[in-house]
Amino acid sequence: MSFNISGATAQVEAVSVAEPSVGEQQKTIQGKSPWVLASRRLRRDRASMISLGIIIFIVVCAIAAPVFAAITGHGNMTQYNTIGRTPAGQPVGPSSTFWLGTDSQGRDLLVRIMYGARVSLFVGVAATAVTVIGGTILGLAAGFFGGWIDSVIARFFDWLLAIPFLLLAIALFSVAVQSPIFGFIGPGLPIVIIVLGFFGWASVGRIVRGQVLSIKEKEYIEAARALGAGPWRIMFIDVLPNLLAPLIVYTTLLIPLTIVGAASLSFLGVGVQPPTADWGQMINDASGMFLYGSWWYLLFPSLALLITTLVFNIFGDGVRDAFDPRGDLYV
Amino acid sequence: MAETTSAGAGGGDVLLELRNVVKHFPLKSAKLFSTEREYVHAVEDVNLQVRRGETLGLVGETGCGKSTLARCAAHLYPVTSGQVIFDGSDITKFSTRRMRPLRRDIQIIFQDPYGSLNPRRRVGSIIGDPFAIHRIASGEERKRKVQHLMELVGLNPEHYNRFPAEFSGGQRQRIGVARALAFTPKLIICDEPVSALDVSIQAQILNLLSALQSELGLTYIFIAHDLSVVRHVSDRVAVMYLGKIVEQAPVDAMWAHPRHPYTDALLSAVPLPDPEHALQRERIILAGDVPSPIHVPSGCRFHPRCPKARPTCVSTEPELGVSMADSADHVVACHFPVADGEDISQSTPQIAEEDRVVESGLIAGS
Repeated sequence: MSFNISGATAQVEAVSVAEPSVGEQQKTIQGKSPWVLASRRLRRDRASMISLGIIIFIVVCAIAAPVFAAITGHGNMTQYNTIGRTPAGQPVGPSSTFWLGTDSQGRDLLVRIMYGARVSLFVGVAATAVTVIGGTILGLAAGFFGGWIDSVIARFFDWLLAIPFLLLAIALFSVAVQSPIFGFIGPGLPIVIIVLGFFGWASVGRIVRGQVLSIKEKEYIEAARALGAGPWRIMFIDVLPNLLAPLIVYTTLLIPLTIVGAASLSFLGVGVQPPTADWGQMINDASGMFLYGSWWYLLFPSLALLITTLVFNIFGDGVRDAFDPRGDLYV
Repeated sequence: MAETTSAGAGGGDVLLELRNVVKHFPLKSAKLFSTEREYVHAVEDVNLQVRRGETLGLVGETGCGKSTLARCAAHLYPVTSGQVIFDGSDITKFSTRRMRPLRRDIQIIFQDPYGSLNPRRRVGSIIGDPFAIHRIASGEERKRKVQHLMELVGLNPEHYNRFPAEFSGGQRQRIGVARALAFTPKLIICDEPVSALDVSIQAQILNLLSALQSELGLTYIFIAHDLSVVRHVSDRVAVMYLGKIVEQAPVDAMWAHPRHPYTDALLSAVPLPDPEHALQRERIILAGDVPSPIHVPSGCRFHPRCPKARPTCVSTEPELGVSMADSADHVVACHFPVADGEDISQSTPQIAEEDRVVESGLIAGS
């Protein structure tokens, strides 16, 4: 049998080793990190940018609620029984005094909605943080260590998903009204955040676990092991940074879900307690009054909830597109 | 260059020795409470020696256990049985902690230049990983060392802060080489380092590897399925089939006198640059696919596909040994080795039809 050197090896001799393969563009030495690229893509997305503007506006409204209350002179708890109610005791409609009308107690609806934004945003962010942090830790442990740890965590997730969370929330609420659970979890905000945060663990945990399982098979993990890296270093230096993109996407999409969840609990009367202003609770109250023609009381809190969840969702979609690896890398 | 008898313990120039290395992977059984376990027989009783300063080529089809063998040698997988002796010490049972200092001496260059670099980290930090892990240098000193390595492999040191996505495949492979070179390891396992690259880029990387070898006195285990590449870089070649080494010889002897029918078939499949020549050559077409490594054929594991198969091949497993007039370092595991000038594409197997049926697919049929 003959054994000529193939074309490839013949070419080999021609290419000099010392010749450095230098990139063409010498001007940009600082590499563009995936984060920079993603934010650049995000900034080009008009819908996301408009949504972000509205989100910032809502946040500013929430923060500035007391300022606005001071300007109008209408406190969020103040009942205007003479000017804020009709002689029959019904709320009054939008006017120059009360821009969005009043509620069933004769309070300024606009001021109440702005205060309600504080609750919604706080619950949305806090409960989402509980969800994402808890879910990430569990999912990372399950995916990275595998074996019995994975089995235990998977069963725990099954258990979480099997619990009817709404019924549990109602049950926990009635318990907490009697005496705070574990001595500190009283009815209202704490229970809403814990219930909403805790029950998201399973979904985040499963996403993280799946991601970790696929990252674990990558050659760069094996390369790290071959270099002598320990499990903690691999987990935090090599695995976690690759999880951040999907986690950020998931977080931005989870916030509106949580806001709606919190509003639903309030609507059912097991969430934030009156007299604290809350959108879900306002909608509940207004739905009883709607019969008597006070449309503004139902419309404006509903709109506030709708717009908030809508802009968070659009922004979340934009973030997901910005991190999408299929997107053009060199924008 | 003479002794290849695997029993001859740790000669002075032997850097790595594998003794009867076996690696089985348990399969997850589909049934919940099944007590029977099946195994993938990835590596089966392999003896191998790598001498200081040489390049040992390891060839075989995809899925034949080359990469698994390499990972066993690098102590990335624990072996099922057998011994791994590196630089005079038996590292088979070493714990992760005891293995750590040795990690500097055994390095791996991976196949996939895209998968082997973390996309979220800067190149400087990737190449600096060995220094960070072993706490050798930090800050400015580490940066200087990293830039020196980048220069060594032909990368622009000013690209220190770039991300892997900003490099081409060949440049990425240079990054992988730079990372492996951090401590001037004694042994580098190249796991198909060029198979994912363009032919012209392959040449650059191969030249880089051989230049580094002569400059730094490196020892390579070079895994590939491209035979012309293996021929170009290797001093000795071992051919693997279904987890076993079927033939092992110095590279020229292997090409001149392939003894195993499988080696012969592989070599006949190497493309020739001269079309006239290529037309004249008889290509040996093997029947069927590689059998499943879960249910390994009896006797010689190549018998279902071998054109020279005889009843003996079905019943008894051949041992590695010198055949015909070969030198002592040319060993083959075959009952009926191929003679010089023999054309095995003319042979027909003399075994029962059912022994020739080949279960297709790699993991199929469990």
